[in-house]
Amino acid sequence: MYEFELVKPATIADAAAALAGEDAQALGGGQTLIPTMKQRLAAPVTLVSTAGIPDIQGVCTDDDGRVCIGGATTHATVAAETAASYPALSGLAGMIGDPAVRNRGTIGGSLANNDPAACYPAAALASNATIVTNTRAIDADDYFQGMFTTALEEGELITEVKFPVPEAANYQKFVQPASRFALVGVFVAKYSDGVRVAVTGASEEGVFRWTEAEAALSASFSADALAGLSVPADGMIGDLHGTPDYRAHLVKVMTGRAVTAAS
Amino acid sequence: MADLAGFEARRAASAAKGLWRGFGMNCYIEACGIAPSALVGQLGARAGLFESATVRVNATGGLVVMTGSHSHGQGHETSFAQVVADMIGIDENMIEVVHGDTANTPMGMGTYGSRSIAVGGSAMVRATEKIIAKAKKIAAHLLEASDADIELKDGAFSVAGTDKSVAWGDVTLAAYVPHNYPLEELEPGLEETAFYDPSNFTYPAGAYACEVEVDPDTGKVRIDRFSAADDFGNVINPMIVEGQVHGGLAQGIGQALLENCVYDDNGQILSASYMDYTMPRADDLPFYDVDHSCQTPCTHNPLGVKGCGEAGAIGSPPAVVNAVVDALQRGGKNVTHIDMPLSPARVWAAMNG
Repeated sequence: MYEFELVKPATIADAAAALAGEDAQALGGGQTLIPTMKQRLAAPVTLVSTAGIPDIQGVCTDDDGRVCIGGATTHATVAAETAASYPALSGLAGMIGDPAVRNRGTIGGSLANNDPAACYPAAALASNATIVTNTRAIDADDYFQGMFTTALEEGELITEVKFPVPEAANYQKFVQPASRFALVGVFVAKYSDGVRVAVTGASEEGVFRWTEAEAALSASFSADALAGLSVPADGMIGDLHGTPDYRAHLVKVMTGRAVTAAS
Repeated sequence: MADLAGFEARRAASAAKGLWRGFGMNCYIEACGIAPSALVGQLGARAGLFESATVRVNATGGLVVMTGSHSHGQGHETSFAQVVADMIGIDENMIEVVHGDTANTPMGMGTYGSRSIAVGGSAMVRATEKIIAKAKKIAAHLLEASDADIELKDGAFSVAGTDKSVAWGDVTLAAYVPHNYPLEELEPGLEETAFYDPSNFTYPAGAYACEVEVDPDTGKVRIDRFSAADDFGNVINPMIVEGQVHGGLAQGIGQALLENCVYDDNGQILSASYMDYTMPRADDLPFYDVDHSCQTPCTHNPLGVKGCGEAGAIGSPPAVVNAVVDALQRGGKNVTHIDMPLSPARVWAAMNG
């Protein structure tokens, strides 16, 4: 990698100021950014670490019952501290990578990166989470805009993610055998006003909602409700780990398994 | 070992969970312990495939084996020391095995082709035999007997039929402090070298059995049981042999289910890192059942050994693939073959092709 300066602010305001600089990049756990820099595919001049900002660490519950997670909170912390309040989210966090990855990777970093095979986008979209930054709050439905693309502006920092807690939920992840990212990952969340189904790993556009399944499951929350439904292979990722047809097939299988596990 | 009798019950239990269980087995034989130099020369090889050893005994009775074989996980430091210790009747801790140092070791051809114990070990045996032959002459002098009457057992030289004996350490000391020593007939010192060219390959063989569960909705294969029975001839160190087979099984199963080097039509490699090239991990593999109690000695090397470094990787891929094909056939799919690796996507494609 090329030479860079590392700054470690203690407040959101200091972080925002540092990120306003030219060629400044926020650094969460570095689980994607550091390897990218080592391959010289990215060369920020200044890395602004979020690890020293207490205001954006930790898990709590707000007055509306939403699980609120600081942007710099590690997957290991999320897995441990949402086990009681949001078990499906806890389970998802606990299956990201391996213990070393989970001790470093952060939810803010994952959502800001929006890898099309990352797990957190499925949880955020299925929960209609609110992504809070240093300047505004963004609904999940408006936040994910394509592979590696989000609504974030230059220098905008995710400070918190607020998850409404569903009545029932489950995340089923079929792993890509080498990377153990999601080849197809489906997060199903049942709220009083309906069911949401978010799919990661499958689409060339990144995480998406399977709206047909949502309608069927909102009417009847059981795997049988999916009979006769399918996602088109067109637009699904095809690579050495699976064809678009295979991914489309797995979307249905994993959705059914998530519904059964959530029931 | 494979408990074929219990398969039907296990198959039904898998079916109750929605999984298809299959059984596959495979017999193999390999030619290894490479190689007779003249033969491989005729086949086009440009090198000799002998092996070498220098055994240097110290005055105090400890010794150093300088072997042309190289040890990078094969445990030669242990198994080679065992062989020499057994031949002389001394403790293994008195033997140091030196390898991989071209300043010290004789010219050797290296470690591959399951050849180290069969060829390198044989060179070491021949060098040690020369050591023992000379040591017996020294002992005969010390015991005032004839060379032919000297026996070596449990680290002591004795005159046959009597209780006159002298310890290994006294003989080795005499070699380097030749005060009472047949200097007219014998040089001092105790160090010998041997180069060994095998007269044939060796031919280990075995039978492997594998049971898998296939998830018909995803094509994912899980290995539930794996049994490996090999005939490696005489076994010097059972634990090391087991470890060699374990390593080979991981490699063979990796080839059968996981590993794939993929290029696109422009020659660009797609599986360019471990994010896409699937290396086997511990949780991809079952606990193995390994047996090498069938030990038919090799007929042509002094240890009667065949070598075991590659067997696991040779016998396992067919057993795994046969098991998956069996599972698919029991599930009603007309599949007789799937190209490796049997990744979930490729198994699913074979089921739905």
